[in-house]
Amino acid sequence: MRRGSVLVPEGVQEETVVPMTTDGLGAWSRTPVLSLRQVTRRYRRVEALDAVDLDVHAREVVALVGDNGAGKSTLARVVAGVEQPDAGFVEMDGAPVTISSPGAAHALGIATVFQDPALCDNLSVVANLFLGRELRVRPGGPLDEERMVREARQILDDLTTGITSVHRTVNELSNGQRQAITIARAMITRPRVVVLDEPTAALSVVQTAEVLQLVTRLREMGLGVVLISHDLADVLAVADRVEVLRHGRNNGSFDAASSSQEEIVAAITGAPGARGRAFR
Amino acid sequence: MKSLGQIFSGGARQFGMVFALLALVLAFQVWTGGKVLTSTNMQNIINGNSYVLILAIGMVLVIIAGHIDLSVGSVAAVTGIIVALAIRDWGFPWWAGILLGLGVGAVIGAWQGFLVAYVGIPGFITTLAGMMLFRGANQAIGQSNTIPVPDEIQYLGAGYLPEWGPGTGLNNSTLLLGVVAIAALVWRESRRRASERRLGAEPVPMWAVVTRVAILSLVIVGLTYVFGSGRVGTSFPVAGVILLVLALVYAFVSNRTITGRHVYAVGGNRAAAALSGVNIKRTNFFVMLNMSVLASLAGIVFIGRSTASGPFDGTNWELDAIAAVFIGGAAVSGGVGTVVGSIIGGLVMAVLNNGLQLMGVGSDSTQMIKGLVLLAAVAFDVYNKTQGRPSIIGLLLQNRRRQTLLEGGTADPAVPDAPAPEPATRS
Repeated sequence: MRRGSVLVPEGVQEETVVPMTTDGLGAWSRTPVLSLRQVTRRYRRVEALDAVDLDVHAREVVALVGDNGAGKSTLARVVAGVEQPDAGFVEMDGAPVTISSPGAAHALGIATVFQDPALCDNLSVVANLFLGRELRVRPGGPLDEERMVREARQILDDLTTGITSVHRTVNELSNGQRQAITIARAMITRPRVVVLDEPTAALSVVQTAEVLQLVTRLREMGLGVVLISHDLADVLAVADRVEVLRHGRNNGSFDAASSSQEEIVAAITGAPGARGRAFR
Repeated sequence: MKSLGQIFSGGARQFGMVFALLALVLAFQVWTGGKVLTSTNMQNIINGNSYVLILAIGMVLVIIAGHIDLSVGSVAAVTGIIVALAIRDWGFPWWAGILLGLGVGAVIGAWQGFLVAYVGIPGFITTLAGMMLFRGANQAIGQSNTIPVPDEIQYLGAGYLPEWGPGTGLNNSTLLLGVVAIAALVWRESRRRASERRLGAEPVPMWAVVTRVAILSLVIVGLTYVFGSGRVGTSFPVAGVILLVLALVYAFVSNRTITGRHVYAVGGNRAAAALSGVNIKRTNFFVMLNMSVLASLAGIVFIGRSTASGPFDGTNWELDAIAAVFIGGAAVSGGVGTVVGSIIGGLVMAVLNNGLQLMGVGSDSTQMIKGLVLLAAVAFDVYNKTQGRPSIIGLLLQNRRRQTLLEGGTADPAVPDAPAPEPATRS
């Protein structure tokens, strides 16, 4: 399963490494935009991440699943620059990088959307989108409201969020729309990789569908997406590939189109004999 | 109904509030048999309340950021005594005395801002301590004496713009101010329209804009006449000019600068603001520092009006300023409020005071009425909030939302509970 490397173990069936994208190029033939190599992160004596590998290509949705405490959110924090790996390293376009801070992650083109939509209810959609990165007319000058409105509309339209007015305050929006705003917020810096940590956790069925629509939209826009989720139905609906974490370790990689929910559940729970096909 | 809505819609957010204040003034004008809208009385309202309104400007930023400042009256008092003593006894020229006073405000503000922002002591406690500390400091420094101030300081607090040029029947400075105000109004409106057009929004019809500008201009003309036509030597008060300048500056800061945006963000959701890269500590430091500087300015204006600094200056000012801010639509929980709203809130209190006094209502009843007005205004806000409707000020400021509905074509269908009540100003 280490595409383009020598780590593909014996017995891995061909279908798990088929091209994931429809552009005619095998995903495995391209350099991943983001790779984690043997990333380890320890909290005291517990290894939250134990030599985890993960590849994300452009125009690909990689779902990261696993039980509570499997290390999914830790991985998100490492990629976001909130935490540093104790061992292993992160590559972008095949070159090792250090993500020392959230700012560094943004500079590298990695945007992370965390579980709780962190928005200021009292501010308008456009003010929230640009909070902390406001555009100004000139350095030291006043806010360039016009340009922010125009760019906000552009991003919301690109994502087809259905949010028509950027002047509304956020407390008038539904939870799904709020989540859409947090995702749109991540897009302000024009990232190449987006990590979504449980974006649908608190949403209704309809709102979940809206957010999943957004996720596919991100792929169409050519981004690499890491979708962290509990919900396998959601995951299989939008992901190209499903990576399972168990006790901080890789525990299987599945092609979303050809894998069943049962297989993945087995990998998540570690049921004996269930790891055969995708075991590395 | 719709056409009336269009007049009120769009840029002049504060239009509805100006309208409400105007209604109050006119009501008192009728009830007092025409004693309110006289030159002398209007000048008195401005002169007698400018310091509270200056405080309200700083207080609204503090409250938006989610704090409170109880020390403003004491800060004003200690500044007042230092300025008075510096000029009378320490050989400071009057202008250096003013600079010293503002410096005292900055030092006190930095102290309180440091405690609130960097040490993490709640603003309520920090400034409650400051209230006692600086009241005592005022009395210690002045030894509880009353110290007179020179004419230049008195000019700031109680003076009038000079007369010059040809005899127009009005005070020419006031006339000029009125003309500039109308020109600025027209300029702002046209700029806003241009911006809307560039953003591709369906602009408010021209006739609605013209009507709105015409009504506001009429109000300005009326005010120019009232202030300019008083007895010779009077005009729009100097304290009022200071207030106007501050109002413009702070409306700009709160709406159009990153600092202002961050003050709202910190009050709205501190955690989210921090995650977004807003510097929470610097923002909190700024609002506390700013408040004390404005309090010291208010103190200087006040000793000018009362011709001396005394040991009980500034008593209860914090409460007047806070009341003005809440009548002006700010939320106790922070994140909500406007500079212009707070000034209008302060003017509502001032007009109430003045009108009731002119009607011969005793100070006992006046205080009760003011208390009830504050309660009613905030209760209305709270009620509307629980109903998912905008606050009283939000209601008066409906135009913004209506404008966005216009530009968006339809309201978002995914939000069934999008509040769209008929605004009071329409009916």
